[in-house]
Amino acid sequence: MGKVIVVTSGKGGVGKTTSTANLGTALALLGKTAVVVDADVGLRNLDIVMGLESRIVYTSMDVIDKQCELSKALVKDRRVDGLTLLAASQKNNKDDIQPEQMKAICAKLRTTHDFVLVDSPAGIERGFSNASAGADEAIVVTTPDVSAIRDADRIIGLLQHAGIEPINLILNRFSPQLVGNGSMMDQADVLDILNIDLIGIVPEDSGVITSTNRGIPLVYEDASPGSQAYMRIARRLTGQRIPIPDLEEKGFLSNIVNWFTRNR
Amino acid sequence: MNISIKQLFGRKRKSSSIAKQRLKLVITQDRLDVDDRFMTRLHHELAEVLAKYFEFSVNSVQMSLKQEGNSYVLVADIPYKKFHDLNPRQ
Repeated sequence: MGKVIVVTSGKGGVGKTTSTANLGTALALLGKTAVVVDADVGLRNLDIVMGLESRIVYTSMDVIDKQCELSKALVKDRRVDGLTLLAASQKNNKDDIQPEQMKAICAKLRTTHDFVLVDSPAGIERGFSNASAGADEAIVVTTPDVSAIRDADRIIGLLQHAGIEPINLILNRFSPQLVGNGSMMDQADVLDILNIDLIGIVPEDSGVITSTNRGIPLVYEDASPGSQAYMRIARRLTGQRIPIPDLEEKGFLSNIVNWFTRNR
Repeated sequence: MNISIKQLFGRKRKSSSIAKQRLKLVITQDRLDVDDRFMTRLHHELAEVLAKYFEFSVNSVQMSLKQEGNSYVLVADIPYKKFHDLNPRQ
């Protein structure tokens, strides 16, 4: 029986879809079976980010309307074994799906996959309730800025209220340089505010833009810092214990301070 | 308020620490479902009561909600001028 994990954030544009695409692919690369589910009915994007947009025939709406079997609606990613996508309908809207219907789809998918990753739409309305309806666990994606963190806190409250546990945090678009000169909150600041467990830090990586342009998730590229970060998060999802590396770039002075405190 | 030693010596505070401080306050209010109107009302009513006991400028009162561990603390900073003599000797 697989795990159902909702990937959410509250605020839009912080990297939910990118994270879902990369983690799904990374899990498959690690030999797991994974299905990524686009829950953003009416504004679907997971298909294009993954490069599978030309292969969508059926969507979750067709499954709910009994136009096709669930297994037939799953698009197999041919680049890696064990990865499939369930697309969202583009011509419907969020209110056309009930939370119970999404729950039923997730319950079926978990019997045949190790991981079911549900890409939630932004916001705290119906789309979010649908996406989180069938989830056991949640991944909250945030960037280190005030609006994303405030929205993340709101979403965490709603997830806790729904009894979803654990809730893990991905700190996305982290810039060691900006943290180093005091222009960006660091991981300790963000965790102090949000008070949930960190599952990984994804550094700002221009490779995300180019990989999205091509429709090839970043994790297929070994060398990129973003790719390595997503691979580490995927390993942690499978239960491996991998420490979170310190990405902060310390200035000369703080290096000296660290050296002294370390030796005490 | 919130003038640090660094500011006094002309060095600007890091924007990341300002962000953290602002976020902590607003998130505490969000979590408690307390809005600005509530805080303004509390501010005024508290000032009315306190004015019976000592002299102060209403505008100098600073109030904020803070989270300490699992509990919330209401911090009020009221610089007073002098206490009223509540039991004046005849």
